[in-house]
Amino acid sequence: MKHSVYHQPNAPLWPGPWRMALVVLCALILCSCRSPGKLGATAGLSSSAGSTVGQASRGDTLPREAYTGVPAAGEGWDRLSTCPTPGRWDRLSTCPTPGMERGVPLPYQPQGPWAPPGLSRPWPADEYIRDGGDVGVPAGVSGRGELGGLEMEDTVAHYDTLDGRTLVEPSNKVYLYAPRFGAVRQVVGLVAHEERQHIGGVHLPEHLESPTTLQLVADAEQNVQAAGEATARPAVALRTRTGDGVISSVIHPRAFQDAFKPFENLSVVRMGVFEGAEMPFLARSSEAAIAWSHIQAVQVILDHTGAMAEVKYDKVLSLYTVSSPPGKPKLRLVKVASTPFAQPGDEVFFTLRFDNIGNQPLGNVTIIDSLNTRLEYVADSAQCSVEAKFSTQPNEGDSVMVRCELARPLEPGQGGILRFRCRVR
Amino acid sequence: MVRSIRFLAMQAHCRRFFVGKTAVLAVWLLSLAATLPAQQPNVHYLHHGVMPPGAIGGQRLQRGGPLPGFYQPVEIKAPTGVLISLAVDNQFDQAMPAPRKAGMLIGAVYRLRVTNIRLAEGLEVFPTIEIIDRIYAPAGQQLRFAIPVELTEEDLKLAIQGKFVTRVIYLEDPRHALPAPDNSPGQNWFEAAPGQDPLAVADGLGRPVAILRMGARLPDQGLDAFFFFGSPPFVAFPATPKVNLLPPPPAMPRGERQGMVGSPTSSQNPVERRP
Repeated sequence: MKHSVYHQPNAPLWPGPWRMALVVLCALILCSCRSPGKLGATAGLSSSAGSTVGQASRGDTLPREAYTGVPAAGEGWDRLSTCPTPGRWDRLSTCPTPGMERGVPLPYQPQGPWAPPGLSRPWPADEYIRDGGDVGVPAGVSGRGELGGLEMEDTVAHYDTLDGRTLVEPSNKVYLYAPRFGAVRQVVGLVAHEERQHIGGVHLPEHLESPTTLQLVADAEQNVQAAGEATARPAVALRTRTGDGVISSVIHPRAFQDAFKPFENLSVVRMGVFEGAEMPFLARSSEAAIAWSHIQAVQVILDHTGAMAEVKYDKVLSLYTVSSPPGKPKLRLVKVASTPFAQPGDEVFFTLRFDNIGNQPLGNVTIIDSLNTRLEYVADSAQCSVEAKFSTQPNEGDSVMVRCELARPLEPGQGGILRFRCRVR
Repeated sequence: MVRSIRFLAMQAHCRRFFVGKTAVLAVWLLSLAATLPAQQPNVHYLHHGVMPPGAIGGQRLQRGGPLPGFYQPVEIKAPTGVLISLAVDNQFDQAMPAPRKAGMLIGAVYRLRVTNIRLAEGLEVFPTIEIIDRIYAPAGQQLRFAIPVELTEEDLKLAIQGKFVTRVIYLEDPRHALPAPDNSPGQNWFEAAPGQDPLAVADGLGRPVAILRMGARLPDQGLDAFFFFGSPPFVAFPATPKVNLLPPPPAMPRGERQGMVGSPTSSQNPVERRP
């Protein structure tokens, strides 16, 4: 029997609607994964709006002659700057995955003795005060120049590039072990049994002997004139006299005071250069040591066998040339604290080291630090090694947001230090 | 190609079977992605603050973690002059002035004896401390960051008057902590409203770590093992860690001292002439 009509040797296993449904389902699953940096860590918000682009295109913020094209960063930072979003040290080879924390981990991070498996340290979070980084909604600058997504405990810097973009760079996170305790009190009295017996009735057999009627006065008239009136008249004017005193004031220098503090004894803070001698300290951090590993492999292995020489002649089959884009703006923001442990009432210094590790000048560099609720900014304690303008404004945690605006563009290879003081509440 | 009807029927049946199985598998995978595994809330809502001492901490030990066998440093604070004794082998040890530091087991109940209370010198109060959670201080910082348990004078007076005072000490969440500066000598505390569970209130404000109960007077049947809750072991820590002070600097010559401004040994210093 021949059934050539129904014979379809190349017929698909899935019907057409099922295949379409599968494609739609896969598309929905893939779309549910958020792509990195879409919302704003870099140029997402600013470039789409356009007003910032217009400012930079007029050339009134960054002069053309300021461009030198000399990158001052090492190899790792160059690779890092090629990523569309800033990455972690352990993600130098690849761009960061979405949701990963950004910034540069530094040593002296306090850690508890134990953490549940699968959870990152420091743990538990309620015993630490975090300052720095950009957690939650990524910070970004809108087209109107407004900074959004900056939450409490975040520390970011935003700057303008030569091509008109406004980029945002978070700092690393700094943790302070500073638990604070409270109490809830309840006072309970003793339970006692009380019983009151009410009076059932009153019987008064005695009657009144004689009724008395009080006649109220229906009308009253005062015929005596008032002798006087006493009023209190408050003073309407106040006249004071200032003595012949001398008013003297001491104007403190606005320049960067004090030398480097002991907790700033890191080459990255002092000179902006990472050194291998700091590797043991960096080993305390989680996976930071991966970034410090050398790219050279083991050359000779001595295990009681003679070294074998291997000579190989390989011919170059193909040559690829990768041309870098002309401009790679990159700002590095490193944050350290004077102490990893603090109790209420202690004062903590925070130091921010910023460096232009790109190959083009950065304009309108602004560093913003939104302090935690338990950190009280000590007034007029901020100082910067370069000319800058400081300002504070309250944040949602009833603390302040310290804002430092650099007066001049930051040339490639240049950097500075910002330091301020906080009191732990 | 010639195929039999039976072969075609079986092929169609296999095709429907495969498609149906795949659809069921896809729906099952989507259901896995949509429903996250339920996480047990880290609160004590199932417990109540008026539960007997030891019940809450004992149930906390069953939830896992490095809690059994850990001696959590606790700092017992009290007004000046108050003496505190801890229970050892069903009797109180030597009274020591407050503050007093001790490492206490989680889940155990420690009986204290508080004496020499101001304006109530002849009376005694026997509070209990129950540690229901620990903190994870970094290495070398455990003693510095001990859990503070405060015996305020007001609470002691209330206990003497016959009131039962319960204080639930909790660890504040730094992101939702009170922004008030810590200028007060004691810790921040709230009064639970009548009818409220102090443990539930503390759960809403942070992570409860200890419960202080005060008001138990000396029982009529005397001091027995039940009164001491078995006298659980503790580790005594010095209240203030010893600091090896450097030796004083060598004395400066007399002539140089006279030129120093504000030196207490200088005869020219007007501060020294003050009564």
